[in-house]
Amino acid sequence: MPTPHIVMNARNVTLTLGKEDARVDILRGVNLTVTAGETIALLGASGSGKSSLMAVLAGLERASGGSIEIAGADFGALDEDGLALARRGRIGIILQAFHLLPTMTALENVAVPLELAGNSDAFARAAEELALVGLANRAGHYPVQLSGGEQQRVAIARALAPSPALIFADEPTGNLDAATGDAVMDLLFERQAQSGATLFIITHDQALAARCNRVVEMKDGQIISDVMSGTIAS
Amino acid sequence: MNQAFRFALRDLRGSKAGLRLLAVCLFLGVMTLAAIGSLSSAILSELSTRGQVILGGDIQMEASQRYASPEERGAFDAVGDLSETVRMRAMASTEDGSTAVLSELKGVDSAYPLYGRLRLERGALALRPTGNQVAIAPALAEKLGVTTGGTLRIGDARLRIIGIIAEEPDRVGEGFTLGPVAMVDMDGIKATALVQPGSLFTTRYRIKTPRGVNPAKTAAALSSAFPGAGWEVQDRSNGAPGTRRFIERLGQFLALVGLSSLVIAGIGVGNGVASWLDGKRTSIATFKVLGSSSKTIFQIYLFQLIMVAGFAIFSGLAVGALAPWAIATFAGDALPVAPTLAIFPAPLITSAAFGVLIALLFSLAPLARAHSVTAASLFRTTVEGARRPTIAVSAAMAIIAVAIILIAVLTAPQPLFAALFIACVLGLLILLTGLGIAIQAGAARLPRPRRPILRLAFANLHRPGAQTSRLVVALGLGLTLFSTLAFVQTNLARQIESAIPKRAPSFFALDIPKEEEGRFRRAVLAAAPTAVIATVPTLRGPVVALGDKRVAEMKDIPEAAWFLRGDRGLTFASKLPQGSRVVAGKWWPENYAGPPLVSVDERAADAVGLKIGDRMTVSVLGVEIEAQIASLREINWDTMGFNFVLVFSPGSLDAAPYTLAATIAADGARETQVARAVSTGFPAVSMIKVKDVITQVGALLGQLGSAVGIAASVAVLAGIAVLVGAIAASRRTRSYDAVILKMLGASRGQVLMAQATEYALLALILSVIALLIGGVAGWFVVTRIFELGWSPGWSVIALTIAGGGFGTLILGLIGALPALNARPAEALRSL
Repeated sequence: MPTPHIVMNARNVTLTLGKEDARVDILRGVNLTVTAGETIALLGASGSGKSSLMAVLAGLERASGGSIEIAGADFGALDEDGLALARRGRIGIILQAFHLLPTMTALENVAVPLELAGNSDAFARAAEELALVGLANRAGHYPVQLSGGEQQRVAIARALAPSPALIFADEPTGNLDAATGDAVMDLLFERQAQSGATLFIITHDQALAARCNRVVEMKDGQIISDVMSGTIAS
Repeated sequence: MNQAFRFALRDLRGSKAGLRLLAVCLFLGVMTLAAIGSLSSAILSELSTRGQVILGGDIQMEASQRYASPEERGAFDAVGDLSETVRMRAMASTEDGSTAVLSELKGVDSAYPLYGRLRLERGALALRPTGNQVAIAPALAEKLGVTTGGTLRIGDARLRIIGIIAEEPDRVGEGFTLGPVAMVDMDGIKATALVQPGSLFTTRYRIKTPRGVNPAKTAAALSSAFPGAGWEVQDRSNGAPGTRRFIERLGQFLALVGLSSLVIAGIGVGNGVASWLDGKRTSIATFKVLGSSSKTIFQIYLFQLIMVAGFAIFSGLAVGALAPWAIATFAGDALPVAPTLAIFPAPLITSAAFGVLIALLFSLAPLARAHSVTAASLFRTTVEGARRPTIAVSAAMAIIAVAIILIAVLTAPQPLFAALFIACVLGLLILLTGLGIAIQAGAARLPRPRRPILRLAFANLHRPGAQTSRLVVALGLGLTLFSTLAFVQTNLARQIESAIPKRAPSFFALDIPKEEEGRFRRAVLAAAPTAVIATVPTLRGPVVALGDKRVAEMKDIPEAAWFLRGDRGLTFASKLPQGSRVVAGKWWPENYAGPPLVSVDERAADAVGLKIGDRMTVSVLGVEIEAQIASLREINWDTMGFNFVLVFSPGSLDAAPYTLAATIAADGARETQVARAVSTGFPAVSMIKVKDVITQVGALLGQLGSAVGIAASVAVLAGIAVLVGAIAASRRTRSYDAVILKMLGASRGQVLMAQATEYALLALILSVIALLIGGVAGWFVVTRIFELGWSPGWSVIALTIAGGGFGTLILGLIGALPALNARPAEALRSL
């Protein structure tokens, strides 16, 4: 059996926010190794540190201590702009509140990461990606003209368009009703399976967690359980 | 196309509303500067291009109380075509002597005018007056109640009115006159018999030089050909130096007021950019999540700013450049000359530079803050206070501020004045900033009121993100300018209306022959038995030398040494004149009979460094008289009596032909009789009615006040724009407050009361600041610059300040209405 390819390796990661009296230790020595193609659910109560761990692993926030290596890049050694550069093409992010750029159409939103990465066919690829999430006919619409489910599908297309090795999704169904949420997750898993990317989902939803092949649980800024529950997508 | 520029274009689609405040503020500020600059350039350009017409020739030689000698006349004639005019003050009266008005008698020869055209109104009986004919200005016809075909009397002459003057080409070049013009030819002047040895008349010789002759050089040559003759020489490059100086200074002062407005607008720009970028925080963080670098983000928002600011600045320039057309159409009469209708690039370039620099200065800090928004802020709601700008940003801001000051100072005709003005405004800005911070800190330390509405109002003054300190600066500066203006204007008006006339005489009488003094006194006393008459001898002549230094050879005559320019009124006295105080040296004994001594005004002496014992020479009718300075005097200029810069000892000037000037203080009810008695008995005597002068000066001050008021109102408009922006920036938190209060059972009235209380507090604070700072500034201007007594018109000031405060309150409430109308359920869903 070939050795699984490691896409992320976090060692003793800590995150402390605030100063002096207001100091809060958010992450307290997290260790996590992730291999290519895994689907991981990150569970935990509010305030357990899930979103902060994702922010640190995705390079959105610099860790206070420890080391993080993602797809060969040492995130600990990079500054804000270095992290932005490292994310390009490597990491796709989907957020609970969608966070589409309100002044840009669906197509332009999907094209932005491709344009930032310098792709000359950014719009053609963005159009393909929009078609894959079933929104080819909504390409010229602005976020305010789309429903919540449609906005999240645009966000998925935007995250997947540069073919990242890692996809982070923070409560992706948190702002959607159950039926729409299920449809969006079906789409996300389908696209993840097609691309072979590693999917990292933060959720409170046990049913959603059950669809992942690995479930990591956090409490008080530490990982308290890490269970493999299924097969890794090939 | 550059990637950041492409993103900026896309992002701009939804940004227009957010950048409206920036655009409005920049537009207002740049428009004001461009309008002021364009208008003063248009007037100055007209003065320059029409220099020949305004001056009446290419060269003008002017002398006092004498005609040119045949030799001088020959020299003028040799240069080019020559025209001679004579001017003097003279009483014009109706045929029966019932009405007499001071006029400017102007005698012209047949060559007049060398440039331009003398035009009479339709219905004139001849093209120009000859012999016993006169053409009069419309104001003179109106005052005397006479028309074309009628007659009037000037001196000994009975003159037939052949027409009303529609255009006197050299009017502006003639300068300030107390009366409207009455134009006759040289025979007419003879007929009046007013030109006598010692009478105060001016002769002007205008020369039209042939092509290829340099007027400035020729003028200088003529001047040096007759060095001691006291000729005042001008060439066409500067036809109306007084008007030019006045327009330059007024233009500069208004431009500085305009620049202050632009600085206030800058605060609006800063607020607008900050609230716009605050609204963009999520987009910025999203750009970062998607892999955008800080540099790209900085560029995306900088490009948008440049586009909107560029549009606002361009619009401001376009509207400002049209100011000369607008003013010429709607207020042309208030201008000394019709402005040249053209586009003047220099003031537009300066205004644009100020606009760009102010926009950069105030948007750099918020742009730098946007630059540092982290991608993680999408996950965590952080209250990020206004971070201090980094050293690099602070340095860039300092460089821009210095550039603004340098441009303002270096483009000003009087750099020192500009520098002082800027220093004052900077000081005021620092003071207001300190006050704003103190008010915010003070509100935070006050005990919490028990009533929730009041508590909320106080809290709004100091809550995180409160705009109190910015509003104090922006509205405070505008209101303070207005309040200062109110203090100065009401004070001047009261001085003119009440304080001065109490001491002022009813008439000044000029050109009384010295041998007729007794008869003059008897005539006046017969008409008004209680009248008080004081007479002084008067002569005219220029100062031609200070020590051994000829004034004509002095290069830079300082501003305060105005007494060295042209003719001055001279007198001699044995006793110290009323209203004067000797501050150095000694007044001569009453029976002094030694060599000529002179007493000089202290400030005039300071201006050229004259000391006791120094010598100075004046020229009276071509005769040079040297005198030693015996004393320096402090003169109280607002006594409305005759105040002379130079007073000579008895015996110094007595030999020259001189006339007497008199002040007549008569009972108001007898003034008409006095005027009639003098005009019929003494046709050569000019009577100036003090009330007329005061009205004329009052009207001029009123016009100046209006000009300054218009410029200052732009500062207030900019302040209002800042207020509106501040309200818009805090709308979200206000809506939240209103919704929560309503959810908890508060009525709309109670919510409105909370907002009203907050703005009433702010308005009260601003009014007190405007009253205090405006009062101090007004006091300084009135007592130190104008050197007048302090008697401000409190009711007008109170109205001005209350109006400003009330306006703040109303605008604040209007801005708060949308929050008031928010329906709780709907709003809570969107919050």
